[in-house]
Amino acid sequence: MTFEIAGYQLLPVLPELLLLTGGMVLLMIGAYGGQRTTGLVTVLAVLLLGATGAAVLMLPAGRLETFGGSFVLDDFARFMKVLALGGSAITLILSREFLSEPSRRIFEFAVLVVLSSAGMMVLISAGDLIMVYLGLELMSLALYVVAASNREDPKSNEAGMKYFVLGALSSGMLLYGASLVYGFTGTVSFTGIAAAAKDGSVGLVFGLVFLLAGLCFKVSAVPFHMWTPDVYEGAPTPVTAFFASAPKVAGVAVFVRVVLTAFPDVLQQWQQIVVFVAIASMALGSFAAIGQKNIKRLMAYSAIAHIGFALVGLSAGTAEGAQGVLVYIAIYVVMTLGAFSVILAMRRNGQAIEQISDFAGLSRTNPQLAFFFGMLMFSLAGIPPLAGFFAKFYVFVAAVKAGLIALAVIGVITSVVGAYYYLAIVKVMYFDPPKTAVDPVRFEVGGVVAAAGLLNLLFFVYPAPLISAAGVAAKSLF
Amino acid sequence: MTVGLGHYLSVAAILFTIGTLGIFLNRRNVIIILMSIELMLLAVNINLIAFSTFLNDIVGQVFALLVLTVAAAEAAIGLAVLVVYFRNRGSIAVQDINLMKG
Amino acid sequence: MTLPDLFFYLYAGVCIASAVMVIVARNPVHAVLFLILVFVNSAGLFMLMGAEFLALILVIVYVGAVAVLFLFVIMMLDIDFKQLRQGFLRYLPFGLTVGVVFLAELLLLAGGWVVRPSVAKNVTAPIPTDVGNTEALGLVLYTTYIHYFQIAGVVLLVSMIGAIVLTMRHRSSVKRQNIAAQNARSPETAIAVRKVTSGQGLREQDSAEWVQ
Repeated sequence: MTFEIAGYQLLPVLPELLLLTGGMVLLMIGAYGGQRTTGLVTVLAVLLLGATGAAVLMLPAGRLETFGGSFVLDDFARFMKVLALGGSAITLILSREFLSEPSRRIFEFAVLVVLSSAGMMVLISAGDLIMVYLGLELMSLALYVVAASNREDPKSNEAGMKYFVLGALSSGMLLYGASLVYGFTGTVSFTGIAAAAKDGSVGLVFGLVFLLAGLCFKVSAVPFHMWTPDVYEGAPTPVTAFFASAPKVAGVAVFVRVVLTAFPDVLQQWQQIVVFVAIASMALGSFAAIGQKNIKRLMAYSAIAHIGFALVGLSAGTAEGAQGVLVYIAIYVVMTLGAFSVILAMRRNGQAIEQISDFAGLSRTNPQLAFFFGMLMFSLAGIPPLAGFFAKFYVFVAAVKAGLIALAVIGVITSVVGAYYYLAIVKVMYFDPPKTAVDPVRFEVGGVVAAAGLLNLLFFVYPAPLISAAGVAAKSLF
Repeated sequence: MTVGLGHYLSVAAILFTIGTLGIFLNRRNVIIILMSIELMLLAVNINLIAFSTFLNDIVGQVFALLVLTVAAAEAAIGLAVLVVYFRNRGSIAVQDINLMKG
Repeated sequence: MTLPDLFFYLYAGVCIASAVMVIVARNPVHAVLFLILVFVNSAGLFMLMGAEFLALILVIVYVGAVAVLFLFVIMMLDIDFKQLRQGFLRYLPFGLTVGVVFLAELLLLAGGWVVRPSVAKNVTAPIPTDVGNTEALGLVLYTTYIHYFQIAGVVLLVSMIGAIVLTMRHRSSVKRQNIAAQNARSPETAIAVRKVTSGQGLREQDSAEWVQ
């Protein structure tokens, strides 16, 4: 049986087709069944995301291309896709409670997360600038809506609004960059650009700057990070967990793919930009987080700092650096999902609590939750032997090997500064007098917390699978 | 002076700058911000079509067509978010969009 | 100077002037109207470059749909635009400085652009000369570039779902006509007879019953 359209093989895009068709089936179920099917649609969406992940892994190995090179499925894409799909599925599990309240019973939430994930998959596999743009918009448009999805809450609306305005501005910059790159190379495909960029020109570098500015926005790297704290704070917590995980994976994936496959010969130029962005993100994220009172805002600054650390690996421009980025982003997604599920679990008398002072004495009122959150904080701070330490280790080693010793030193210093506020939270939990007890933790949220905590704690026992998978994935880019 | 590619690119550059300026100057008026974004995307389209014509390559026009489509979708979402925001606040003044603050 | 050049300067001039008006207009309705002017003149520029199909799409989709959507939202929301202009002048000097520098760089770039021979041979899909612009686009859009077309369709689906999720609401406070309930009314449920004591008028509980 031939499985093709307009002469293009459809086998490599099978997971995307599955996800999109499934998403539309879910939409139909919701549309005909009404809002009471919200729970069912959400469960089915989680299963659909899982099945898509399995489909990605079951496709024939090696580099598959279709649509004339517009769509590339290599080991890098497989790694990032599984990570992004996993992040989306976990967020949907976490949002069950959020969606169970009568006023927020919107089945479209799950459908939008599925369609957004489809956008991420397109983005991760993009082989040319048009696919990057379309994937980015498919992902972002759904994100704008879920950010504002708590219609009755003005803070959620404002988060959606800010995210939209700044996101649209960033797509505009990215597009302008894409148009310049197209004009100066005569092609939109990454391989074509790489070939034409050999004899680099000023115009190309200009296009690259705009392109990177747009991408920095999506991964919330300095100087295009200003939306992050407000949106993280304003959006409903499950949505924030979503923003911090899957779209970040897709954003980092496209960042890495664009600079490494489309601009390998203008390394000098983009390396300067990425080094600057990495240093600024690490420094701003670490220092600005210190004064924060709201835990979601603090996590936003933490996210900015962690993107900086991941970009340290990228700035090396080597396969080893790319491997470091992949290891980093995988571990970061686990840590951040764990941390947000703890924040989600923190409810007192049915009200969500978000102030850091509310964690006071958690070790006595809910010791398990406090233990896992403490572990996650230690891991985010990068304290050995937790997973977060290995993540930082790989990117810094890659930077040192590429001769960027100053960058690695700045990274180590900022991670020490960053450790201060993570440890301050642990101190609040373990040494401050307890407040009234928090509500019992829902089963699925507790499960995610425990899984993320244990993964972080026991990563050092058997790190080989992740490290080698990331190594294989990074090699496929070179 | 005969009109060449540089002229079209200059028009696009001016429109893009006006669009960016519009966002920074009208920081509280979201409707004008949305219109400024439309101006930026229009500038991109002029760029793409100019390159397409002068490179004699149709890909630029296909790209421009897709940008037009997606920009229309984006405007629809933006206005929907705006309407919800207005219903809750009774105003569209975004007090602190914080475009330039840390 | 040939006629097309004259038209270029006409379209480009009006386009840029109206774009400035879009961002400085005091009244947002005027801003939308200037935006329409920008779109129409850009359509003229597209036409001069030979992209006829896109020129007409710009007029139909942007002027016909998007700009009207803007107008619709402005009219629907009762917005106090006076207070929205605060801060405009405060940011003007800084904004203009940055804008001028930015523009100068972009213009330098645009002025120095030449088609290098190495670039021209990268071109993947030359514009066919034997068919019109619309046909040329159609020939590639549904074959070579079918994947872009499909993804654009999904993007439109997402925006449709998004707009419905955000703005549609079933308000309980809205009174709707219930014809079955109206038909089921009988004199017993609709009329109440009260004996009114002279000089006292209708007592409160009577009128309360009456309202039901």
